[in-house]
Order: sequence, then C-alpha cells, then structure tokens
Amino acid sequence: MTDFVQLILNLLIFPGGLFAVALGLFLMGIDRKIAARLQRRVGPPVYQPFIDLVKLTRKEMVVPGTAHLQAFWFAPLLGFAGMMAAVTLIPIAGVYQGFKYSGDLLVLLYLLALPAIALMIGGSASSSPFGAVGFSREMVMMMSYELPLLVVLVTIALKVGLATGGIATFSLSEIVQFQLENGALLFDYTMLPALLAFLVFIPGNMGVVPFDIPEAETEIVEGPILEYSGTGLALFKLMTSLKMIVVLGLAIALFFPTPLGKNFLVNLLWFFLKCLVLMVIAITVVRTSTGRVRMDQAFKFYLRYPTVLALISLVLTLLQR
Amino acid sequence: MDFGTLINGSYMIALFGAIVLMVGELVALKQMKNLIQLLIISSIAEIGYILLGLGMGTYEGISGALLHLEYQIVMRGLVFFAAAAFIARGRSHSIEKLQGIGKTMPVTATLFGFGLFSVMGLSPFKGSISKFLIIYAAIQSGHLVFAAMATLGSIIEAVYYLLVIQRLCFEEPVQEGQVAVKVRETSPALMAVLLVLSGLTAFMGLFPEPFIHNVEHAAAVLLGSTGPDQLPVFESPWSTLVLVPYVGGFIVYLVGRFSPALRNLLAVVITSTTVYLAWQGGDFDSLSKLFALIMAFIGFLVTLYSVGYLKGKQYTNRYFFFLLLMLGTLLGLTTSKELGNFYIFWELMTWTSYFLVIHEQSKKALRAGFKYFIMCTSGAYIMHFAILTLHVKLGTFDMAVISANLQVLSPSLMLVVLGMFIIGFGVKTGLAPMHSWLPDAHPVAPSSISAPMSGILTKTGIYGLVRILFVVFGAGLLAELGTAGQFSTIGFVISMLGALTFLVGEIMALRQTDIKKMLAYSTMAQVGEIVITLGIGTYLSLIGTLYHVLNHAIMKNLLFLAVGALIFRLKSQEITKFKGIGRVMPVTALCFSIGILAIMGLPPFNGFISKFLMLYASVQSGHLALAGLILMGSIIGGFYYLKLIRIIFFEKYEGPALKEAPITMLIPIGILTGLAVFNGLYPQAGMALVKPVADLIAAKGQMAVTAIPNVSIVWPMVAVIPIVGALVTYLLGRRSAKVSGWLAVVTMVATLITVFTASSGLDVFSWSFALLIAFIGVLNLLYSLGYMEHGHAQSRFYTFFVLMIGGLLGVAVSRDLFSFFAFWEIMSSWTLYFVIIHEETREALREGFKYFIFNYVGASLMFLGLLVLTAKTGTFEMGELAGRLSALPTGLVALGLILMLLGFAMKAAMLPFRIDYQMHPPTAPTPVSGYISSVLLKSAPFGMTKLFYVFGGVALISKFGLAGEMPSLMYAVAWISALTIVMAAALALLQSGMKRLLIYHTVSQMGYIILGVSLGSSLGVAGGLLHLVNHMLFKNLLFLVAGAIMVKTGIENLDRLGGIGRKMPVTLGVFAIGAFSIAGIPPFNGFTSKWIIYEAAMEKGYVFLALLSLLASVLTLASFVKFLHSAFFGQLPKELENVTEAPWTMQIPMIILAVLCVVFGVFPGIPLSTIVAIESWLGLTPVSVSLFGVDSGLGAWNAGVIAVLLATALIAGIGIYFIGNGKIRYTKIYTCGVTDLKAEEVHVNSHNLYESPKGLVKRCIKVLYQITGLGKGV
Repeated sequence: MTDFVQLILNLLIFPGGLFAVALGLFLMGIDRKIAARLQRRVGPPVYQPFIDLVKLTRKEMVVPGTAHLQAFWFAPLLGFAGMMAAVTLIPIAGVYQGFKYSGDLLVLLYLLALPAIALMIGGSASSSPFGAVGFSREMVMMMSYELPLLVVLVTIALKVGLATGGIATFSLSEIVQFQLENGALLFDYTMLPALLAFLVFIPGNMGVVPFDIPEAETEIVEGPILEYSGTGLALFKLMTSLKMIVVLGLAIALFFPTPLGKNFLVNLLWFFLKCLVLMVIAITVVRTSTGRVRMDQAFKFYLRYPTVLALISLVLTLLQR
Repeated sequence: MDFGTLINGSYMIALFGAIVLMVGELVALKQMKNLIQLLIISSIAEIGYILLGLGMGTYEGISGALLHLEYQIVMRGLVFFAAAAFIARGRSHSIEKLQGIGKTMPVTATLFGFGLFSVMGLSPFKGSISKFLIIYAAIQSGHLVFAAMATLGSIIEAVYYLLVIQRLCFEEPVQEGQVAVKVRETSPALMAVLLVLSGLTAFMGLFPEPFIHNVEHAAAVLLGSTGPDQLPVFESPWSTLVLVPYVGGFIVYLVGRFSPALRNLLAVVITSTTVYLAWQGGDFDSLSKLFALIMAFIGFLVTLYSVGYLKGKQYTNRYFFFLLLMLGTLLGLTTSKELGNFYIFWELMTWTSYFLVIHEQSKKALRAGFKYFIMCTSGAYIMHFAILTLHVKLGTFDMAVISANLQVLSPSLMLVVLGMFIIGFGVKTGLAPMHSWLPDAHPVAPSSISAPMSGILTKTGIYGLVRILFVVFGAGLLAELGTAGQFSTIGFVISMLGALTFLVGEIMALRQTDIKKMLAYSTMAQVGEIVITLGIGTYLSLIGTLYHVLNHAIMKNLLFLAVGALIFRLKSQEITKFKGIGRVMPVTALCFSIGILAIMGLPPFNGFISKFLMLYASVQSGHLALAGLILMGSIIGGFYYLKLIRIIFFEKYEGPALKEAPITMLIPIGILTGLAVFNGLYPQAGMALVKPVADLIAAKGQMAVTAIPNVSIVWPMVAVIPIVGALVTYLLGRRSAKVSGWLAVVTMVATLITVFTASSGLDVFSWSFALLIAFIGVLNLLYSLGYMEHGHAQSRFYTFFVLMIGGLLGVAVSRDLFSFFAFWEIMSSWTLYFVIIHEETREALREGFKYFIFNYVGASLMFLGLLVLTAKTGTFEMGELAGRLSALPTGLVALGLILMLLGFAMKAAMLPFRIDYQMHPPTAPTPVSGYISSVLLKSAPFGMTKLFYVFGGVALISKFGLAGEMPSLMYAVAWISALTIVMAAALALLQSGMKRLLIYHTVSQMGYIILGVSLGSSLGVAGGLLHLVNHMLFKNLLFLVAGAIMVKTGIENLDRLGGIGRKMPVTLGVFAIGAFSIAGIPPFNGFTSKWIIYEAAMEKGYVFLALLSLLASVLTLASFVKFLHSAFFGQLPKELENVTEAPWTMQIPMIILAVLCVVFGVFPGIPLSTIVAIESWLGLTPVSVSLFGVDSGLGAWNAGVIAVLLATALIAGIGIYFIGNGKIRYTKIYTCGVTDLKAEEVHVNSHNLYESPKGLVKRCIKVLYQITGLGKGV
C-alpha cells in the first residue's frame, strides 16, 4: 500500500506532476527569454508560461461544430497523461531512483509517442484540413526521428548490458547505476556519435524550429492545435512542458546522470542545471539560429545523419564485445 | 511323296509368302479407291500368310496355313458377297461413292462389317486363331523376321479394313436421296447367301474344335508325323462371370428390338448380377477379384446411367449390346488365368469399346475411334508376340506354369518379352508417348463411355502390368534382371514412362477448352501417377498404386458421369459454356465438385488417402524426387481443377432454365460420390480389398512386407461437432438464412463448451489453442449474423465457415501427423476457398484462386517434409517421432524439417513469399478475413512451435549447425520474421483499402509471433505465444470494425470515408482500443507481448532483430492513425450522413474483444499463466509470472503499475478540465476566411498522408525489384 501511495505521490507531486510541470514551464520561460536575447529582443518575463496557462484555463472553449467532440477533448488528456506517467519514469541521480522494472526504457519509448499521437488525434478530430495536414506531418516527423532514437537506445542498452551481465538491458535504472559506477557515457568516445544523434533528436521531438513542421504557424497556422483554445490548449501546453522534462531528463539519464555528492537539493539543482544547459544547446540556440526546413528535407536528414551517427556507436559497441 | 521334306527345305516358299503378304498389304493400303480391287489385293496378301505357314514346314505352320485357308474362304466369301450387294445398290465400285451406303442397308452393312472384322480375327463370336498359329509357327522355328512381318501385315490390314468399314457403314451417305428410300436391301437370294456365310463364320468362331481337329489331321498326314492334339490351345472355356454379360449382350440386343424398356431393365439386372458374381469371387486370386469387382461395379453404374443418358437416342440397342460385351471382356481379361484367353479378351475389349467410342458416328468420333482401334490393336499385336514367344519357349499359356518355369529363359529374352508386354499395356493405359488416342477418344465418346474408358479401361493396362510384372514374373526376378539405382531396370522404365505421362497429362490438361478433353488429360496424369508408383515396386507402393486404381475408378467415373449429366442438359462440352451451371443443376454440380476435390487429393475424400499412400511409399523407398514430381504436378492440376469449380459454381449463369439430370443418371453419380466420401472417411474398407493383392505379390516376389501406415483420419470430438453442425446448418438453413446463422452460432458454442470440458484428453497447448479457435469462432459467427444479413447464399457461407473452423480445430488437437495434415488441408484448401470467394465478385474469385494455389503449394511442401520425417521413422505419432528422428541421418531430418518449416512459413506469409500472393484476400466477407487473419494463420506458429519443441526438438535442429548459441535454422527463421515485420508494416503504409491495410499488418504481426517462437528462449516463446493471443484479439477486433464500417457505408476504401466517428461512436471506441493495442501503446495488450519479444531478442544479443521489430512499431502506428483519421475523423461526406451504428450482433463481439484487449493489457498474467503451462509442457523453463506480467528475471514487468499511472494521470487531466472555464462555443473550422467549401473539399484523404515515407518505401521496392529482377512495383 505504501508503495502505491508512493507511486501516486511520485506521479502527482514529485518528481512528476506539480514539480515537473513547474520545472518545465520555468525552463520554457528561460528558453523564451534567452531566445529573445539571442534575437536582440527583450522577451517576455520568465514566468510568462505560468501566466499563459492560467489565462487559458479562464477562457471559454471554441470548438468546431464538425469536430468529433469526445476525441477532440480526449486528445490533450492522452498526451498530458502520457507525459505525466513518463516523467515518473525518469530517474534523477541522487534524487529519484525511477522505476526498477527492467523494461522501463521501452515503456518510456512508447509513452514518448503519446504526445505525438495526442496531437495527431486532436488535429484529426478537429476536422480541420490544417489539423489533418499537421497530423500527417507529425507522423512523418515521428517516423523520421524514431529510427535514430531507437538505435541510440539499443546501443546504450547493449553497451551497458555487455559491460554488466553480458545481456542487453532496457532498464533505465540499471543504465544509470552503471554510469554511477563506471563513469558517464558522455565521456566514452564510442558513445559520442550516439550523443550527437540524440542531440539532433531533441529538436525534432520537441517540434521546434527548424523541425516545427507539423505546427508551422506561418504555413498551416499551428496545424493540429489550430482549433484548440481554453483548457484544451492549456493541457497541450502542459504536455509540452512535461515533454521537455522527459526528453531532457532522458538524455541526462542516458549520457550524464552523474550527481554532485549526496545532497538531495544540490543534486536537484545540478539536474536543473544540466537540463538548462542541454536545453540551451539543443533547443534554444538551434531554434533561434535556423529557419524551418521542408518535410521531405527533415525526413531525409533524420534518416541520414543522426541514424548514421547512432549506427557508428552501435557498431563500435558491437566491436568492443 | 514326302511332302514334309520338300517343304522343310523350302525356306523360299516362306520368304515368298512373306513378301507377298507385305507387298499385298501395302498395295491394298495404297489402293483405297476401288472396293473390289481392294478386297482382291488383300486376298492375295492373305495367300502370303498361307504360304508363310506352309513354308515353315512345321506341324503348327501347316495346320495353321490350312486352317487359315478354310477360315478365310468362308469369311472372305461373306465379305465379297456383301460388297457385291453394296456395289449393286450403289452402282459403283468406288469406295468414295459408296460412302455411307450402310445406312440404307443396315443388315448387309452389319454382315459386311462382321465379315471384315472376322477376317481380322475379331467378332463377337471370337475370331479365328489361324493367323496366330502361323505366327506361332514362325516364332517357333526361329523366323522372327517373318513373324514380325506377319504382325506388321496384320496391323496394315487392320488400318485399311477399318477405314473401309467406317467409310461404308458409319459415315454420312454422300447421296442424300438414298436415305429416304425404303426398299428391300438386296435380292433375297444374295441375302440368303450372306446369312448362310455369316452363320458359318459365327459357327466357326464359336466352335473351332472340329475345324482345328480337321487340319491337325491333315497336317499330320502331310508331315507323316504323330497324331493330333499338339497344337497350342489358345482358349479355355469362359467362366460364368464372363458369360453372363456376354450372352446377356445378345439377349439384350434381341429384346431391345421389341421393347426398349424391357431391354433397359434387363441390362441393369444383368450387370447387377455380374457385380454379385464378382463379389462372390470364384476361381481367381485377389488381384483378379479387385479388378473384376471394380469393372463389374462401374459397369453396373454405367449401365444404369446409360438408361437415362441414351433415352430417345439412336442405336441404343447396338450401344447396350457392345456395352455388355465390353463388360464381359473386361471381366474376362481380369479373371483369366492363362494368356490365351487373356489376349482374346484383350482384343475383344478393344473391339467392343471401339464401337462405343464411335457410337455417335460423327466425323470426329470416327477419326478418334480409328486412331484408338489401330493403336490399341497394334499394341495388342506386339503383346501377342510376347505371349506366343512365351508359349514357344515354355509350351503353355497358363500363367502359373509360366511363372514357375521362367528361369528357363535367358535374361535378355525376358527383357524383350517384358518390353513387348509393356508396349501392349502402355498403349491401352495411355502411357506417353503411346497416349495420343486417349485425349482424342474420350471427348468424342458418349460421356457414359468416356467414364469407363477413363475409369476402368485404362486400368486394364495397369492390371496387365501388375499381373505380368509382379505376379507372373515377380519382384524378385525383376530385380535380378538388372537394377537402376533403387529401381529394377524394368521398374525404372515404367516409372519414367509414368512420369512422362504424368507431366504430359497435367500440362496438356491446363490448356484444354473442352471439358471432357481436360478430364481425359487428367486421366493421363492420374494414370501416370499410378504407374510412377507402380514402377517403384515395393510393398507399400503396390498398396498405394492399387488403392489409387480403385479410387481413381470411382473419382474419374464420377467426374465423367457428372459432366455427362451437365452436357446432357447443356448440349456443349466447351468449358466456357459451363458458367454458373452449378446454380441450375446444383445436385450434379455438387457431386462433380466433390469428385474434383477428391481427385485433387484433398481430404476428407478418397483421393487424399491413396495419394498419401503413394507418396508415402515413394518417400519410404527413397524416391523423394518422384514424390516431389507428383506433388508439383498436383499443383498444376490444382489450376485446372479449381478453374472448373469456379466456372461451374461462381460465374454468372446466362443460359436458359435447365432441369436437374434424370434420376437414373443421378443415382450412379450419387453412389460414386458416396463412395468417394466413404473411402476417404473409412479407408479400411478399400484396404481390405487391396491388401490381399499386395500380400499375394509380396509372397511371389519375396518382397519385404512393411507395415502399412494408418491412414484413417482420427476424428476428434471437437472437430466432429462443427463439421456435423455445418452440414445441419446447410440443410436446415436453406429455408431461412436467420436459422442457419443461429445454428452456426449454436454449433460453435457447443464446440466451445466441448473444448472447454475436453481439457483432460489434450495437452495444454492444443487445448488452449482450440479454446481460442472456438471462442473467436463464436464471436465472428455472431458478428456474421449482422454482417451477412443482406447477403446472398448465407447458409453456404455459414456452412463453409463452420467447416473451416472444424478443420482448424482438428489441426489444433490432432496428435498424429497424418490427421494433423489432413485437417490442415481441410482448413486451408477448399473450405477456405469457398468462404473467401463467397461474394463471387471477379476480384474475389481471382484472389481466392491465388490464395488457394498458394496454400496448395505450401501444403505440398509441408506434405513432402512430413513424409520425409514419417516414412522413414514409421510413425505419425508426434510424441514418438521426436525420439525416432534422432536415429535418422541428419541431412534427411534437416530436409524434412526445412520443408515443413517452409510450409508453415508460407502459411504465416513470411518472406520471401510475395506478399500480394500470400495474403488471404481482402475480398472475403469481413468476419472471415478477420478470422483468417487472427486465428487461421496462427496455425503456422502453432505448427512451428510443435515442430521446434515437440516432434523436432530443438536439440535435433541444433544438430545441423549453430549460429552463436542458437540453432542456425531457427536463427534464419528469426531473421526472416524480423524482415517481414518491417517490410509488411512499410507496405501497409501504401494501402488505402481498409482490409488490405489490416492484412499487411497481420503479416507484420505474424512476424513478431514467429520471431518470438523461433528465438527459442523461455522469454521468446512466452512473448511469441502471448502475442499470438493478443494479436488474435486486436486484429480480429480491427477487422470487425472495418466490417462494421463496410456494412454501414458500403465503402472499403479509406479515401472515400471520413467523419463517421460521430455516427458510429461504439465502433470508433473499440477501434481506438484495437489501434492502440496493435501499435503497442501501454497499457494495451499489444505492448506487453511485443515488449517481451524485444527483451527476448536483446537477451540473446540480437540487437538488429530487436531494432527491426522496434522500428515497425512506429510504422504500425502511422497506419492506424491514418485509418483513424480517414475513416472516423475529418469531414463527413454528404452521402454518409445517414450512417448509423452497427447492430447489436456486431457490436457485442467487438466490445468483448476490446474489453479483452484492455484486460489482457493490464493483467497479462491471465494469458501468461496458461503460456507458462504450455512452456513446461514444451520442455522449456517456464518464465515466472504474476497477474500483472512477468515476475522475475530479465523480463520483469508490471503492467498494472503503468495502468495505474496512466489512469491517475488521466484523472488529473480531467480535473484540469473541470478547473477550467466550462463554457463552450461552437463555430465552423478555420479555413482562412473561405466559407463556401464543401465537406469533401476540406477533408484530407488517406492517400494524401505521409508523402515522404511513402516515397521512400516505393523507392525501396523499386530498387528491390531492380536487384532481384522481379515483376512490377506495388
């Protein structure tokens, strides 16, 4: 029973739920601020995302009459819930252990698909042609970045598995544990290509420029979320902020979970700092310094460079066996 | 004067005689214009014979010559006088002008023909033996060349005489007017002469003894040697069995002149008496009994059939006369114990059947009859040479005595004699290259004659081969005459002839447009099959051969008689004219198609049993290639046989209304159909006839008697219930479609209960598979109630659906491989075909055909593999097999396993089998497509699991090589399945048909299952089997959803749908569950099983296998999001505004499946607990499980936790909705300000989605085709 309560608390309060949402929104605020600075603008205050959220929940919802209502409302819920659950699976070294089940990496992989699915269902259910186009692009994006992601995950699973028991492992906690004992994979040269691949994966998954193709507000006016407003849109925003934590947290767990000593607060701050740095590198800088590419370009790009990079790591790992 | 010495030295006389006869015959052949001239020249040639006989100077030669002289004077006298009558009437000597004159003068014509045939040595009163004596004398004194010349002369003579007879008596008259004139045929005086001469001829034929005696005397006087009775006695008295039909023929003819009705009755009574007599047996051995019984029985049925068939036709008297005579000769030749009688019957058989072939007297018939007669007679003459040689050497015709004294002969002579016999029999049997008469004669004969021609006449050749080769000579002696590989030389020759015949038959049959010609070629193929096996010459091969003789007699007669009934009404033999005739003559057509299924060798009909035996025998004796050849040929056969079924039943009927065939025709057809089924279900009955024969032969040839495999299908209760239920459904369902539907459901429920309670007798694997089969069966049948509501021929649909499920249940619970395979064939051949093509659209027919052939090929591969494994081990029991296989050579076991594996892989649609050929086509009614996809195809992984772990044993497979720690064979399978997963999922992206899309995903998901099973670890097998269950649930669910949409909208293409989610909320809901499940989203069921499979792959270190299977997930997701969008969301087209939700009968199965998808997702322990039991039964270390998933070790997983997490998060999300401002305002969608767009214009179609990946897939396919050189792109 205590396990169960613990689980619910993890989900709702910390490290998931309230904490993750706050962290995510905060990071987004910082992102916007830095991006503005990089573009020589003043930018909104860091707490702007919080304000936006409250504002959205206060507004009425405008819904297309031809939409499939249940699905239209269900979609943001699905994405939000998926990300809530996913955040709970992310271990924070020295702070939170994550899950002990051996396949949580695979679960995470599938949960990570839920936001995209949510956007697709929402866009499709809205009955808007922009939504449909957006959902199609969302799916293609997913097909693009999924392969490099998979190769990276499998490479790490293999790497850690080979080093520990000879059998590949899909357990995130084991992967973290291994790095705590043997040093972070960030410093393993064979894993560098994989790291690069993962860095490239982040903007694609987060849907930011140059890969914001599914939402592309200047082309298809936000695509899937075009028809969303009020609380529905708020849930999508929450989902995105949670997803930010999931993706960044996953990267950290995979490559650089190393904590700073044993202090809980220090480690939490350390985690925040790592997230921040990673976000700036993989999201903020990227999105302020590039322009949107076309769908087919993105598709080709992902199937070429990050995939090849990840495969290099995989081959190197196999060679080490 | 010592005449003897004078002649003895006169070799010259003989030479002169031979030259005269050859030149004479040749000139006569060229001189075919003037009748009188022809007859004179031929008479001169005949003198050559006499000179030849005299020239031999021996006792036999001289008596032969004298006898010949006596006979010929009388017979030729008859011919000359009859010719004179013709010439007087026709006022011309020219044969051309006299053409058809026999029509106006029937009596003269009959006597003329009688005379000419008698000259040739043939007539209903038997021919003269004088010519034989002359040839005998020539052989005896070593003048083989003369003997050959005399034989050749006889053949030439037969050619021109037959031409004359046909020209004068059977062809249409040239002068039309003559027919109408009713005048006396000829002057009474001439007629009297004719009658006296013919009476004399008949008398001489019937009672030759006084004449023979006479010439013996004369010869003795001439030679001054010892007394009479030294001539070879060609004939012995005929038995009652022969005399009854033979004399009956004359009686029937006479009676028929007064009362046709009485004649018919009499004919039937006589033939039924012969059946009784043959059954009683008599002074003949078991071989004779088997054949005599076949002949008599088929003869009886044919006679009965002919009564109706010939009603109101011409020359019926003649027909029955010759039919009964032919029956008599057939019985005679199969029961005679010495070669003299055998030969006479043989000749008479050809002669009598000739008249039946030309019965309709059309030009074609006459030409074909001519060919038939000449070829068979020539063959017979050659055989006759052999018989005489044997007599010369051994002094007797008695087969038993010959057999006992054969050692006297030199091996080369024996080979020559056998060669001549083989030619004689080969012609009759239709062995290529001596077959050309067969395909000509069959189509032109009345169907009632084609039937026995194919069914039993060709079998006389087989009888002869068996009799001479195996009873007279014996297998032991044959082997001493030389061997070729594992064959005896003779056996090899025969088998090769058989193989050639078989191939010619199968290939030519493909090309025929005349249905009877097609059947004729099919006869060649079947006979070829029989002869191939016969040549192998082992105990088992004889069993198989003889059994197939019996079965083929039944099947082929059934086919010809049924086709005859169709032609009888349709008045055409063109296959294209048969379109849809099954709809107007259902009973006949049904029987016909049972015949077709039987001859294709499909269970549970008789052809399956004997074909199995033959193939078993071939493999058992090491002739794998021959077995392969036969199977390959059968596949060719599948094409044309199935084409017939398709045309007869499923094309549109466009002709006038037709009645069913008359009852006298239906009775024999029905009896034969019954026998075809009976022999299939209860092979022991036929075996009781066949086995004594094989024993006899084995005793003769010191042949090893091997155990006969038990080829009766074991019918488990769980298969019997649905099969019986299906038949009841059909019979009671003809009145009301609703009743039939509910009956089907009730049947399935009863089956389910039976399976559930039958757990004790079954192993847990079979039991749980059977349980799933029945359970999904109930759901899909219930669903069909709604789906089929407005469909056609519902009772047929339910019947075959339930039958198919019955077959599948049989596969699941069979404990021996024979039954396993039999049920496999039942479920994947004809029953499947009939349900797939139920809609009868052009596309359905085409796809069903393809799929049938595909399955047939797969089953054939499996068949061969099964034979390799079982024939050498001698057991079908799966339990025993594993132990015995280890004793066999590794290569052989590998071959067997690989072949079986290929069969399974084809069923599971794994690469490299072309995907568009292997799919169960989307054209089937949806509940069936769903059932096939979700349940039926699982027979493949089911079988594979059994193969790997039960009767093959992983240990055994490991023997032929390891890849890492895994047996290489299983490793290969794992790779194939992983590639299949990705390829099918990628191809699915391109589809816009709902069912096509689903089917590609079936293939992909099957890959997961097989990947898991072939990984060979506890975790892998658990994952594979769990996915098997899960896929059953969600794939069936998805199909049912597609079906619901199709029923309600009438649209199958995703491009034309849109927005129906609002109209069909339940369907949408269950679809979403199904889609999430197949995409593997936690906590739905697909996730757990896929996840175990990934873990299992990674556990073994197969990174790339894991990667491939992981990658497919995202592709799968793409397909289903597309489906979701195009069908349910987006804009609703105008035409679909009135769509409503599916009826409850369809909703309930869908809801049940959806609930199970969720339940098994959250509590994977429920199915896993059974899988654990299966694993321990299979001999694997079971994985440890709990209610929420795998408990310990690497695969530890708790599905419950993730379910709780997601549920809580979802509630939290809903909470946020509640916190928010609840006000809702409805608007139009944003379209950049344009307001006059129609729904269709703002709807994004499925084919507009995913351009880039689709492009990539297409490019990959293109490249693949360029590399492999395969056909066009998708």
